[in-house]
Amino acid sequence: MFKKDLIRFMNDKTAMMLTFIVPIVLIIIFGNIFGGNNTSRGKAHVIFVNKSNSEIAKLIEAKLDSSSNIQLIKKYRVEGTDSILSFTEDKAMEYVRTGKHAAAVVFPSDFLLDTSATMNIKFYYDPRNEIESSIIQGGIQQTIFSQLPEIFPALLARQANNFLGETKANGFRNDMANMISSYFNIPKDSILKFASTKITSGLLKQTSSDSTKNSFIENLINFDSEQLVGKDLKNPQVTRIVGGWAMMFLLFTLTGIATSLFEEKQEGTLRRLLCMPVTRTEILLSKYLFSLSTGIIQLMVLFVFSWAIFDVDIFTNFTNLLIVIIISASAAVSFGMIITSHATSLSQANGVATLLILVMSAVGGAWFPTFLFPDWLQVVAKFTLTYWSVEAFQQIMWRQAELSAITLNLLILIAVTVIFNLYAINRFNKGKIF
Amino acid sequence: MLKIENLTKNFGKITALNNISLEINSGEFFGLLGPNGAGKTTLMNHLIGFLKADSGTITYNDELVKFGDKQIKRKIGYVPQEIALYQELTAYQNLKIFGSLFKLSKKELSINIDKALELVQLLDRKNSAVKEFSGGMKRRLNLAVSILQSPEVLLCDEPTVGVDPQSRNAIFEMLQQLNKQGITIIYTTHYMEEAERLCNKLAIIDNGQIVASGSLTDLLNTLDRKKTIKIIKTAETESLYDKLCEIAAVNVFDFKYEIIQNNEFQKDSQLYTYFEKIGLSSNLIEVSSASLEDVFLHLTGRRIRD
Repeated sequence: MFKKDLIRFMNDKTAMMLTFIVPIVLIIIFGNIFGGNNTSRGKAHVIFVNKSNSEIAKLIEAKLDSSSNIQLIKKYRVEGTDSILSFTEDKAMEYVRTGKHAAAVVFPSDFLLDTSATMNIKFYYDPRNEIESSIIQGGIQQTIFSQLPEIFPALLARQANNFLGETKANGFRNDMANMISSYFNIPKDSILKFASTKITSGLLKQTSSDSTKNSFIENLINFDSEQLVGKDLKNPQVTRIVGGWAMMFLLFTLTGIATSLFEEKQEGTLRRLLCMPVTRTEILLSKYLFSLSTGIIQLMVLFVFSWAIFDVDIFTNFTNLLIVIIISASAAVSFGMIITSHATSLSQANGVATLLILVMSAVGGAWFPTFLFPDWLQVVAKFTLTYWSVEAFQQIMWRQAELSAITLNLLILIAVTVIFNLYAINRFNKGKIF
Repeated sequence: MLKIENLTKNFGKITALNNISLEINSGEFFGLLGPNGAGKTTLMNHLIGFLKADSGTITYNDELVKFGDKQIKRKIGYVPQEIALYQELTAYQNLKIFGSLFKLSKKELSINIDKALELVQLLDRKNSAVKEFSGGMKRRLNLAVSILQSPEVLLCDEPTVGVDPQSRNAIFEMLQQLNKQGITIIYTTHYMEEAERLCNKLAIIDNGQIVASGSLTDLLNTLDRKKTIKIIKTAETESLYDKLCEIAAVNVFDFKYEIIQNNEFQKDSQLYTYFEKIGLSSNLIEVSSASLEDVFLHLTGRRIRD
């Protein structure tokens, strides 16, 4: 009996694929995303503008340039030309607003004045990916703390001076050093140096675990944050994820409908249809139209549900949302058609479809923001339908973007739809599928 | 009416149809007889325009039948081997869906649906889901779907596979009724008795080739003997087996021996004299008229269900 089950299992390629290949592929993707197997996560890209003349600002910029977490983007290409210019603060804000980058860091001209006890940093961000914004802020703090610890004693001294007055502050430090020196017989200079270092380490620890507004560290580095996009969204979390999950389930539904051609083949109804006065193209197109209608209705239901339950705004940019829904559904159907046109059986079609849909959803940004991926995986993401669709949904729903902002996304989805469908129709007409 | 000339179809290295030529006239009940895998369904698929031949032609009333030809599909009904119905839908819904593909007017379609349901005796069950039907009822509905457009020709590809005798008889009667109404019927089967009962013209197909065609009488006339002699297997006849083999070829079955015609014994009387001589009791000898089974055996050297 055991052998019987084993033989049957070994002969079921779909079961084998779902049992071993799908989880292995997903583990590889998750592993890369969350840093397993020593693979490096991709750097968070952030626009950087340094308007300060301070030497400290230049030093920090140099350290950030070599950061392993952050990639500073300082220049941009002027659209339609070959000229490359340095970012200005306004241009940086425009790039964040239009979704070209998630955040911009600006060292203002008053970044660190001679008497200032605080480093001022302007942070413009698009909270579409909150994790990305946190990584950027945390990365900047970490770089400054770890690479330039000597800045802190100076800043602390300035703060003490501001709070107590210079005379009292100096007196306090001297008194404390004298007392410790006399009790423990330690040179006064080393006590002062040690005390400063210890305070800095404490601050670093505090930074990594405590981000409350009143923390001491935030008095040293002042992030003047400004959210440029999505301020009016009532439920940003759901708005962010609804497109990705909707696309994943759309792919499952529509691939299921497309592969139902195999069921019709098994039942014999497809052959009966083919023996009636309808062409193969008509049969495929009717399947396509039904799938498309189902997909559009499914997406509409999901979005209306997210509006009704989670207050996701779907009506402000409704026309554009509808266009993205229709084009995404078309692309999803064509994906089902291409699977159907190459599979040799229903079980094979289902197995391959499940594998590809899960991989496309994971890689294409339906589950996690793609910036979390290693660079190579971010490139791979662009070869998935999910990526272009999810990006389009986010642009439309998150930043209420015009169609011009997602032209490339829509063109790619339309191109995929046309190519996949023509290919599937060609194979179907030549009798290569059924 | 329907003329097939030098039709050949290969699937990779397998030749499914090998230079087949046939002519089927209007109003005939034409049987295509052959074992499983002989090429019957492949030929049907060409007639309905489902498959494209590698070479050869099919003409219907002197018009070339092309691959996927819509016009020919309006004139030819097709009863597939499998029950090609949407199981979760009702009988009426199935008929309406398939019937609508013929672009009949609403009224005409409605009339044709009722006629078809009446013919297959399912009018009272038209609103029941197909999945609730018995095998025989499904087979009858399968037939009903194929006649919605009032076809001139009806292709029946082994339409009684897996059907109980009562339903099989009902289907035979329905087909005969349709044939009487003027519909030309082309019927494939590997059951000799079905072909003998229904068809007024037959073609025997084996390994993708037509080995004989004509009326039942024509085919039986290809045999030298019009009778089959069988000997019941007993301990007595088993002991005589070697002696039987001395005078004729003998086919051995589970319960019988069948004497194959031998030129040395043209007359039955000579055989009976020999049986008497070797001591074979006459009550163990069965004589029956020759059948299509004998014709097939004679033409191909094997039985149809081998």
